[in-house]
Order: sequence, then C-alpha cells, then structure tokens
Amino acid sequence: MAIQVVERDLERLHQLWEDGLSEAYRSYLEAVDGFEPSAQPRLALAAALVEVGVRLQGLGGRAAAPPSLLMGDLCLARASRLLADAAPQSIQVAFARAIEEMSSAAAAEQTAPHTRELLLRAFEAR
Amino acid sequence: MIGKRLRFETSHSTEFVDITDRLRDEVHRSGLKIGRVHLQSLHTTVGLAINENEPLLIRDFQTLLERLAPVGASYQHDDFARRIGVALDEPVNGHAHCRQILLTGFATLLVEDGELVLGRWQSVFAVELDGPRHRELALQLDGEFGTSSLSPSGEQSVVPSSMRLAHRARERGEERRTATGPELVELELSRQLLVDPEPVSAPMRRLVEAGGKRLRPKLVQLTAGIGPRSEPLRAAALAAAVELLHNATLIHDDYVDESTHRRGRPTVAAAEGPERAVAVGDYYFAKATRLIAEIGNRSVTSTIAEALEAVCASQIDDVALRGAYPGDRDSYLRVVRGKTAALFAAACASGALLSEAGPEIVDALRRYGDLLGVAFQMADDMVDFSPSSGKPVGLDIRQRVLSLPLIYAAEDRTVGPEVRRLLAGSLGDAEVGRVAELVTISGALTRVRGEAEALVDAAVHELETIELDGLRPTLISLARSAVDRIA
Repeated sequence: MAIQVVERDLERLHQLWEDGLSEAYRSYLEAVDGFEPSAQPRLALAAALVEVGVRLQGLGGRAAAPPSLLMGDLCLARASRLLADAAPQSIQVAFARAIEEMSSAAAAEQTAPHTRELLLRAFEAR
Repeated sequence: MIGKRLRFETSHSTEFVDITDRLRDEVHRSGLKIGRVHLQSLHTTVGLAINENEPLLIRDFQTLLERLAPVGASYQHDDFARRIGVALDEPVNGHAHCRQILLTGFATLLVEDGELVLGRWQSVFAVELDGPRHRELALQLDGEFGTSSLSPSGEQSVVPSSMRLAHRARERGEERRTATGPELVELELSRQLLVDPEPVSAPMRRLVEAGGKRLRPKLVQLTAGIGPRSEPLRAAALAAAVELLHNATLIHDDYVDESTHRRGRPTVAAAEGPERAVAVGDYYFAKATRLIAEIGNRSVTSTIAEALEAVCASQIDDVALRGAYPGDRDSYLRVVRGKTAALFAAACASGALLSEAGPEIVDALRRYGDLLGVAFQMADDMVDFSPSSGKPVGLDIRQRVLSLPLIYAAEDRTVGPEVRRLLAGSLGDAEVGRVAELVTISGALTRVRGEAEALVDAAVHELETIELDGLRPTLISLARSAVDRIA
C-alpha cells in the first residue's frame, strides 16, 4: 500500500517521521488491511504514534527529559485524535486499554507486554 | 372526579422517567384539596415505581432488572414460530414483559391540603422497559376539589413536547441539579479511581482529593443540560473523564516545570519520581480517552481529542518560548489558547454535543469556553502576584512560566529594562521579589485585569445570541467568577 498519510497528521512530527515513525507506520499497514481503505493510513499512523510516543517518553524505563516527554505526549494525543476520526469505538477502547496496560505495568515497575504486540492485538477488537 | 392522560416520550430501552412534578402540577391544576390520584400504566412494558431519584440508585435498579430478566435470554414469548397471530411489527421483548411483572402497573397516591403526600425521598417513576417509545398513563383525580386552574372549557392535559418537558424539568430542577451535579462528578471520580491499580490510582487520588476548581467538569455538566437530551449520568461520566484528562496533563506538566507542589501537596514527580509521573499521566490520559469513547458519541470524542492535541502542542511551544522568556503577547495568547482555553472550549462544546444541542449553540459555547479559558489563565497569572492568594508570590517567575503581567512589565519603558535584566540572570528570592514589585509598579496587573474582564464580557456576549433554556445566568456567573478571584 502506498503511504497516504496526510500533511495535517504529520504536523510537527516530520523529524520523527524521518527518525523511525515511518518504519513503524509501515509495519502496521498490514494489520489494518481489513479496515475501510480510507481509514487504513490513519489507523496505522495512530498505532505507530503510540509505539513511538511511549518510547519517547521513556515509559517503563528511565523517564525522558521534558522535551522528549512532551513530544511523546503529542504523539499519544495525535494518535487519540486519529482514532477518534477513523476508528470504530471498539478499536478506540482497545487502544486505550493497551496504553493502560503498559502504563500500569510501568507504574508497578513490572514488565509490560511488548508495545507492538499489544497494539496489534488491539486491532483485532473490531 | 377528573380523568386525564399523562403522555411522554422515552429515549432509552430502559428508563426511569420521574413524573412526580407532572403529577404535582396536575393536582395543583385540578384544585384537588383532599383525595387520591390513581395512576395506571396503559402498557405491558411500562411499570410504575415509587422510590428515590438518585442517579446511581437508578443505575442499580437497571442492573437489577437486567440481572433478573436479561436481554437475550431465552423467552418463549420471543419464539414467534410458536405464537399465533403475531403482528408484523411485534418486537422481541420477552425480557421487558418479565421485568414489568416485577414492578406494578398501577398506583394510588394520597392528596392532602392540595399536595401529593410523598415522603422526603420519594419520587414517582414511570419505568420504560422496552423503549424508546411514546407512552401514556391513565390518571384519575378523586376527592374534594377547591378552585381549579383548568381552563374554562375544562380542557384536559395538554401534552408538552419533549423539548418543553426538558425545559420544564430544568426550570424545576435548577436548584437540585446545581446541588447534585458536582457531587455526581465526585462520585464518578471516586468510582473510577476505586477500580484502578494502586500504583496509578494512589497518586491520582491524592491529586484529585486535594481539590481544584473543577471548572472543566462544571462546564461539561452545565452545557450538557442545554439540549433536548439531558442525561445527568452520562454528563457526569464525561465531566469526570475530562477532569481526569486535565489532571493527567498536570502530572506531566509538573515534571516538566520541576514543580514540587500542587494544590498544597507534593507533585507525583516530586513524591514518587519522574518515572511514576510519566506512567500515571499516561494511564489516566488513556483511561480518560477510553471513558469518553465508551460514552459512544463520536462528535464528543473528536472534540476532546482535538483539544488534547492542542494542549500538548502548546505545551511544547510553551517550553520552547522559555528560551526567550518572558516572550511577547502574541506568543502568550497562542500558547494559552492551546494549553488552557482548548480544553475549556471542548468542555463546553462536548457537553452541548452530548445533550444534542444544535450546531449554532455548540459553536457559541465553544467560543464562550475559548474566551473564558484565556481570561481564566490571565486571572491565574495575576494570582501569582497576590500575597493573599495562599500561594507563594512569584512562583511563576521562579519557574519561568509564561505570564502576561510579566510580559507587559518587561515591555514597560520605565521598569522594563530592570525586569529583563533580572529575568536574564539567576532568580533567587530577592530577584523574584523585586520582579514582582516591578510588575505591580508598572501597572501591568491593572492592564491584564482589564483584558481578562473584556474577554469575559466577550464570552458573555456569545451567550446572548443563543437559546440556553435558563442556563445563561449560571454560565455568566461562572465566567465572572473566573476573573473575580483577582478583584
């Protein structure tokens, strides 16, 4: 599938796109294959943003410095908006639950399941 | 004896419709002084109940009915192949009939001294079990009548439209809603925190229990009463989620700003470390977005999600601007509109959207929230210079937080050079004190107060063009109070 991410969805994130977000995005494209074609790029980008966002924040590891944390926050917020725009309610809920699982494990200083694994599972909630 | 029909529309499959006030109105209109009101359901899937109108209790009743006669369980009534003469539009509603038999189909209420005799906590409910539908109850008023307020023609009950019903309920319930609305949000917040894992819930509980103005949930609840679909429980769920979201952003902000205290208590980052702060903020960001998604209104979900994005983007700008501290007015307004006003605007718009208010009302309330949010932030900036605020004076200066009074003082011809020089160096107590003094001398506080008041006036003006069904005074008062705290 061609990369169809719209400009608005990458606003402020171009550097991240160059630094690994695009790869994460591509890796989720297959998982969104069964969704409406128009929604697929935004769903894949949402998953990529969550993956990159929590990594930037240092969730589950050493807390990132403030600028990285804030960029991670923006990634999560952008993902949330993309899901609100393009995902069915069940996927929105599943994504939120995936982040809840990761962050509660991090707060309890326990090992969380791998982010990508959780997010791929979230796509199955439709 | 007077005979009547009480008609109403329901909007949910199961719904407890409080008809107490309508019955009281009927008694007053009839002039019945002493006697009885006989009430009878005209449907096999509408019951009657007399109990307390407490939203969580009603949820319990609904849960109980669901448990006793679940939807989707096997009901012979729903086996159309075995029934004779089944209408084409026959619904699958065995559960509703079974639930109705657990309730009652008729009730007699006493009237004394021209008033219904009800205990303090008693309300009369028509219980919809297979809605949404148009419903009808038969009513007879029997006894000694005095002066009636019925029309000379003896015209019987005029059926109010659903809009008029909502309006009347609001008129009657204003006092009660104001009293119980915030309590509902607090209950919902407690309930949500109760089910969360301790490592995340404990820090959030400390923050939530420390107080806060709860302005955003208040805005959600108020505006959720404007449209025709006013549902206090859904409004409370949304309001609580918005408050959790706001608190989640504060937890990350406190780490970024290196704040040690908030609402008089240690911040999560200070008390438990930045790692915990990151995790707790993320958890409640996710949970709040989930709770909002579960409400099931796509417009509401998108509205809050867009606001959250604006908050995060502005937070990045805010930190970036600290390199050119204290910045300028345009940059300040750009940051504040995202960081503070976006969630105010979304709170107003989402409440109205939840109640299915019209687009012109939603837009006007969004603008109201935006203007109010900026005014609120300006007022908050001024609090930093008030010795009577309860907060240490100059905390924003010390933490190099964007502040409009400081921007104006730095631009002032007389004190500006000294303000800029002080801000360029390290800020100890003496420097912070001097900067605060210079801000006061410069007249910046008066200027900012004037601007905040003008924004509140503009916010109030937004309310003048729309029908708010009795809520205008409350929204105006709330807007004024945002600036009054600095008066």
